[in-house]
Amino acid sequence: MSAPNAAYRDRYAIVGAGTSRLGKVPGVSALGLIEEACANALDDAGLAARDVDGLLVRGPDDIYTFHQVVGERLGIDAGFSTTTANGGASQILSVILAVMAIEAGLASVVLCGYGRDTWSRTHTSERARMRGATRAAEMESQEFGPEYGLFGAAAMHAFGARRHMHEFGTTREQFGAIALAFREHALCNPDAMMKKPLTMDDYLAARMIVEPFGLLDCSLRSDAAGAVIVTTTERARDLRRRPVLIKGFGTHNNLKGWFADDHMTRTAAGPSGERAYAMAGIGPEDIDCAQIYDCFTYMVLTQIEDYGFCEKGEGGPFVASGALGRGGRLPTNTSGGQLSESHAEGVLQIVEGVRQLQGVYGPDRQVPGAETCLVSGHGGNTVCHSTLVLGAAP
Amino acid sequence: MSIETKSSYLKPLPYPSAESRPFWEAARRHRLMVQKCGRCGRFRFPPAARCPHCLAAEHEWTEVSGRGRVFSFVTYHRLYHEGWDGEIPYVVAVIELEEGPRLLSTVTGVAPNEVRCDMPVRVVFDDVTEDVTLPKFAPA
Repeated sequence: MSAPNAAYRDRYAIVGAGTSRLGKVPGVSALGLIEEACANALDDAGLAARDVDGLLVRGPDDIYTFHQVVGERLGIDAGFSTTTANGGASQILSVILAVMAIEAGLASVVLCGYGRDTWSRTHTSERARMRGATRAAEMESQEFGPEYGLFGAAAMHAFGARRHMHEFGTTREQFGAIALAFREHALCNPDAMMKKPLTMDDYLAARMIVEPFGLLDCSLRSDAAGAVIVTTTERARDLRRRPVLIKGFGTHNNLKGWFADDHMTRTAAGPSGERAYAMAGIGPEDIDCAQIYDCFTYMVLTQIEDYGFCEKGEGGPFVASGALGRGGRLPTNTSGGQLSESHAEGVLQIVEGVRQLQGVYGPDRQVPGAETCLVSGHGGNTVCHSTLVLGAAP
Repeated sequence: MSIETKSSYLKPLPYPSAESRPFWEAARRHRLMVQKCGRCGRFRFPPAARCPHCLAAEHEWTEVSGRGRVFSFVTYHRLYHEGWDGEIPYVVAVIELEEGPRLLSTVTGVAPNEVRCDMPVRVVFDDVTEDVTLPKFAPA
């Protein structure tokens, strides 16, 4: 029996993708960066702002009704528009909402994007950095956290890493293999923030942040934005680019919390992935490359397991085998990811998946013959998840 | 409970919600209390108006054993808040109580590098200000 949403398989496509300048981009706000990314995505697709009638975006949480500000700046009135609030799961969620909105007749061409100016915000002074971390935690909760010294996203994910190490014997060297693999990919990406090769000795010698995470387990602070454009596969035929088909998607939200049940070692990627595979009519063995949400190294390791690329508990040996690198079983985060390219809450990973399937890269970066790519999004307060299975158009 | 600090205590203090106030008042009296559902009998944490298992409103604040285990923990090596200046490294832990609920706290009375997952612990009470007591956990 096929999945109820299998009827939508291959009927929608991503027809354009763009990014802003990435990394350290002083003098531009999050809004300025997302304008840049949206303009580049429209140009990539050969579309104008007047062709867009859906706008689904996200930016820093302190900008109220972000989508309204972005629409004003881009000169877009939209049949369907909102700001998404699932953290790093939001960007794939926007693509999913775009398909649903088009299917329901509320829009026909939907622009999905994300922008932030985190590097600029956190590099004015050390005091500003600390204020930033503290303020974020206080926005989440005023008890059962800050009074015990719990601040920042690193610690939440580090609880999962610690428990995984305890249950399955996972090691810091195995987390390190993830950081090394993505750095290797980043060296082929001229836009990546991190430009130097990384060794296991470098990884292990980096200062500890929130143990078991050291500095190189943590994603980058970046000024960065990205955007993609979703429309029907039929409409895509008339556009400039080879479309990338939306074969499957899924979401899952472990709203009972990261501390509940076994959520920190069996994440929402599991059910989210099952839904996406069922819609696409394929399984993990059919995926040629992946862009996995890498806020912290551990999240890649558990998602590799949760998505069925290996058994639960076998993620450590899997990543240590070289599977994520060029020529490996599952080339992953081929742009360098959020650990080594730039952190834009997952939107850059959708862009990278699209470009791999368009086959735009030279031999150093292109995954040879890639026809399918799995992209993941993870966030909110560690419990929201989203999955895209993309395919090259025939 | 006052949220003002009259001492030199620089760490954030809990901001109780209407639902969690009895937890903090009990802690002030050095008792660890959580809600027990009046219908299905299960314990719950964090505090809430309804039972997450059966949605019943009726409940009783019930003293628990204070015994549990470290479900997971992290060790801060970087200063995120001036209140912990000079206390790096420090541990933040998820404690699973014998009665089932998990709560966020810290492990005290042991070096950070000797804390382990599944390590048995028992509650201890730290009167951090005149008005506020934090339940913490020590090796059992």
